[in-house]
Amino acid sequence: MISKVLIANRGEIALRVILACKEMGLKTVAVHSEADRDALHVRYADEDVCIGPAPSRQSYLNISSIIAAAEITGADAIHPGYGFLAENPHFAEIAGECQLTFIGPSPEAMRLMGDKAKAREMAKNAGIPILPGSEGLVKTHAEALDISRAIGFPVILKAAAGGGGRGMRICGSDADLAGAFDTARSEAERAFGSADVYVEKYLERPRHIEIQIFGDTQGRIVSLGERECTIQRRHQKLIEESPSPAVSQDLRKQMGEAAIRLCEAVRYVNAGTIEFLFQDGEFYFMEMNTRIQVEHPVTEEVTGIDLVKEQIRVASGLPLSVPHGDFRLRGHAMEFRINAEDPVTFAPHAGRIREFHVPGGPGVRVDTAVYRDYVISPHYDSLIAKLVVRGKNREETIVRSRRALDLFIIEGVKTSIPLDRAILDDQRFIRGDISTRFMEEFEW
Amino acid sequence: MNFKEILELIDKVSERGIAELEIEQAGTKLRIQGKPSQPQVIHSYVGELPRDTTLSLPAPASGATLAAKTEEEEESDSGLHIITAPIVGTFYRAPNPESEPFVTIGDHVNKGKVLCIVEAMKLMNEIESDIDGEIVKIYPQNGQPVEYGEKLFAVRT
Repeated sequence: MISKVLIANRGEIALRVILACKEMGLKTVAVHSEADRDALHVRYADEDVCIGPAPSRQSYLNISSIIAAAEITGADAIHPGYGFLAENPHFAEIAGECQLTFIGPSPEAMRLMGDKAKAREMAKNAGIPILPGSEGLVKTHAEALDISRAIGFPVILKAAAGGGGRGMRICGSDADLAGAFDTARSEAERAFGSADVYVEKYLERPRHIEIQIFGDTQGRIVSLGERECTIQRRHQKLIEESPSPAVSQDLRKQMGEAAIRLCEAVRYVNAGTIEFLFQDGEFYFMEMNTRIQVEHPVTEEVTGIDLVKEQIRVASGLPLSVPHGDFRLRGHAMEFRINAEDPVTFAPHAGRIREFHVPGGPGVRVDTAVYRDYVISPHYDSLIAKLVVRGKNREETIVRSRRALDLFIIEGVKTSIPLDRAILDDQRFIRGDISTRFMEEFEW
Repeated sequence: MNFKEILELIDKVSERGIAELEIEQAGTKLRIQGKPSQPQVIHSYVGELPRDTTLSLPAPASGATLAAKTEEEEESDSGLHIITAPIVGTFYRAPNPESEPFVTIGDHVNKGKVLCIVEAMKLMNEIESDIDGEIVKIYPQNGQPVEYGEKLFAVRT
């Protein structure tokens, strides 16, 4: 059994894990860089260890320091959060070798699903629709051109090891591809250490819909419904909601079953997300994330399941606490990411928070690790809070979200609050008529 | 507590930059509030920098606690060279439990001399002196866990 959890992360997710541990009666260990001495996760954890200087590479990505911190504090489990080392199979392996329970999937499953070209192959074998494209990697420009002509432009070049929009190139014609092939490869090489790319048909106006899945060590895998994550800027999600206005109960079942089939193929354990692109009534497998996600609270609000506590349960070898039988989402939930950034240019904005007031009232939840006088460090992610709003239906959720954002006061740094608020008045958003191009076409 | 003692306390408070001191003794309660000290200075320094800076700044609040925490030590450490832990781990003064410690207080060390071991993930990391001088202080106890940046030795050069 797990009794003391080390959280190998910072910010709101580190705090989120601490809250779950407290509810379960588990001790917690925070690790932090020199820049995070006054962070809330450090203050709220039972113990804390400074693991290095401010740059992540020397602290939150420093595997040996984190393992050493677990050893000196006697922690018996590690929760990786999201980002940093969360999807690093090597880290999960070392934790296992050091008799530490890694709260997440097995290194093998992580490795299989972490390689996008391999994951695509596995999805195809499991009978899940995938976008037309290359069989595995493409090595040469000529090969990429043959495939692109066969499936028809536009196509997208993607890095096999990629994520977060890097190493991607959209090509509308032969000429585009000629220029993009080498750039995509070198960008992938620089960002991920591997130049491997593959080609896929590019959908013009898709929605991004993902399925939350959960597996336990007894071999049970469940789907916990979808999250609509179509509102993105620069391939980074801004607003997420569940249920999706585009998904019927029937479609939900189909997508859920497809996601479960894929997870069964890799005997997946713990929380994971299968991302799909959706257009004209058809869904296509895109990739899998082998971790808890930023937007997990949306699912928590419509299922009533605490996903982080469930992660810890499952990692201890206990069965999922999710009831058997027919599954339905209840009510509606939306999450608004509050980033410390310019709402127009999206440039990150570090600095001191001079005023901080979070909204409350029915159906409002705020996950954050900042406070008044907190200094946002330029070293880390710009996400400073997540506003999660729940209502009995989408209409009520929108109205409630507007008033919650209006009462969310952050002074001293620029934030994405005005943008989130403006989107809530957009007619297409209100109708639920959206695609991943939404932000490109959005006008204030 | 007489008037003279109170004056002395006030002097100490301002001298050391203590923010606030509260003493209760034999029915007398005394509270001295110091002037804005070091931490505030750091704050205003940050405030003067351009807003959109992407420079790597130490969090001022962190500077504040650091200053408060090490205030007392700082005094006695002044003029000494401090060697800190470069990694997280367990501090050992000797290569194994039967051996003599690498160094003891009063030893003269040269740059490159092994001072201790910090064990992390079953790896024995030998920590060397980065300076010539005399060991005047050893901060952690043998076998004690140390975090990154924690003080290990003070060396008089």
